[in-house]
Amino acid sequence: MGEPFDISYVFEYLVKLLPTLKVTLLIVVSSIVIGLGVGFIVALPQLYKIPILRRISQVYLSFFRGTPILIQLFLFYYGLPEVLKLVNVDVAKLPALYFVILTYALHSGAYLSEMIRAAVGAVDRGQVEAAYSVGMTGFQAFTRIVLPQAMAIAIPVFSNLVIANLKDTSLAFSLGIMELTGKSQTLAVMSRHFVETYISLAIIYFVISFGLEKLFHLIENKLLRHERRLSSEDKEPRLRKGKEKPFRIAAKLGFGRGGTENEA
Amino acid sequence: MIKLTQIKKSFGRNEVLKGIDLTVEKGEVVAILGPSGSGKTTLLRCLNYLEKPNEGQITIDDFTVNCKRPDKKDIHTLRQKSAMVFQQYNLFKHKTALENVMEGLVIVKKLPKEDARKKSVELLEKVGLGNKLNAYPSELSGGQQQRVGIARALALNPEVILFDEPTSALDPELVGEVLAVIRKIAKEGITMIIVTHEMGFAQDVANHVVFMDGGVIVEEGKPNEIFNYPKEERTKQFLKRITPEGVYSI
Ligand SMILES: Nc1ncnc2c1ncn2[C@@H]1O[C@H](COP(=O)(O)OP(=O)(O)OP(=O)(O)O)[C@@H](O)[C@H]1O
Ligand SMILES: [Mg+2]
Repeated sequence: MGEPFDISYVFEYLVKLLPTLKVTLLIVVSSIVIGLGVGFIVALPQLYKIPILRRISQVYLSFFRGTPILIQLFLFYYGLPEVLKLVNVDVAKLPALYFVILTYALHSGAYLSEMIRAAVGAVDRGQVEAAYSVGMTGFQAFTRIVLPQAMAIAIPVFSNLVIANLKDTSLAFSLGIMELTGKSQTLAVMSRHFVETYISLAIIYFVISFGLEKLFHLIENKLLRHERRLSSEDKEPRLRKGKEKPFRIAAKLGFGRGGTENEA
Repeated sequence: MIKLTQIKKSFGRNEVLKGIDLTVEKGEVVAILGPSGSGKTTLLRCLNYLEKPNEGQITIDDFTVNCKRPDKKDIHTLRQKSAMVFQQYNLFKHKTALENVMEGLVIVKKLPKEDARKKSVELLEKVGLGNKLNAYPSELSGGQQQRVGIARALALNPEVILFDEPTSALDPELVGEVLAVIRKIAKEGITMIIVTHEMGFAQDVANHVVFMDGGVIVEEGKPNEIFNYPKEERTKQFLKRITPEGVYSI
């Protein structure tokens, strides 16, 4: 099929692909930011068990989690202008990138809202009551007590979602977006060095994913510093005899991944 | 002074409080006793508005909330006049002992950080945790966590501190240190309402003992009256069941 394999093209194509990285990152960052907003709004009726809104948000969730993202891209790109035409709004001329970002935002939003719901639910209700009891308002209790802890809990899931989103953006080329994958398609077809192009492409995705994973891991450790096990200098001898409290064991098992590492 | 008038609370069909009247004088230490499910926790939670009573009036000092239609601000004010010490401590897990105590002072009372810190350090020293200021709850024993919880409640200078079985989640060897702290602050004339199963403790710390059963106050009076000369049959039976070993039972 293509030209004979030549490793030197891998490096050449890396350089050629890199400029389109910013399009990929633009899609990732803007859809995650918008998705967080959407996720939050969708999570609220679930968290507060608001009857009708809750149903609506469930429909939204099952649609975006139950259909392939490629179909969602097509539906939004071809379908949305038609729908909006009915109310006399013309969006047919808008660049495809807008539709792509919207689709990815709504898609990630569904998963992000599940993440938010689970993380907020994981902070025990008792702490919120304690916050009320010292006189905080609902808003203060949420922002000062629940949110920081929920964020720490959510980071591993968030990390996975961002990386999944990054990889999903490779489908945007099907609407003609010149992001990483789109560009590599063109390069490959023109030069017929298919394998080299895709190796370069894989390298770029891999490096970014790997970097993101490490970065989130660092943030997680920082946010979970309160889960650290006793550092030896302020351990009371009397305490050592005592039974281990359940949450300490939980911390050891994985919640406080950072904790055990930091002990050495 | 705290005055509860005809407090009623139902969960669905289950009427848990059937019209509670209770007056607590300033500086008084009130112990609430009663069998499991009698509504003791619910009563304390209503006082702090963590549970919304269906009916009745709560007066703390000269501030009254009518529970039928309270507005949000009333609830907020009421909560600032009382503080709760929880059975499960409920410390803010992402904050150190010091930050746990400071939080209310800085965020609610709007004290400058330095003043809040100074006051919090003093309180933690008072409960014997001067050497644990920067420990996170996960680094503290249950008894230590509960003492932080007490310091956190004290910090707000509430009119009344509500204790819901403050020692029942603790290992027996840690109960003493927490009771000692409560004894100490009781002597300082802070008004307290304590739900407890520690009969010995109730007998010597409380000025007033309330016995609840089935959502009503069956009998109340001086510790000596209730423990040694109970009038009501239900009180007698309850006290008989609490054997000396029962002192540490949950
Ligand atoms: N949130 C709730 N929803 C429904 N029912 C509740 C709720 N909280 C308490 N109850 C019910 O109210 C009754 C009184 O409970 P409460 O916790 O006040 O008892 P208690 O006197 O504190 O008991 P214990 O000594 O076991 O702590 C119980 O029958 C309980 O099942
Ligand atoms: Mg109770």
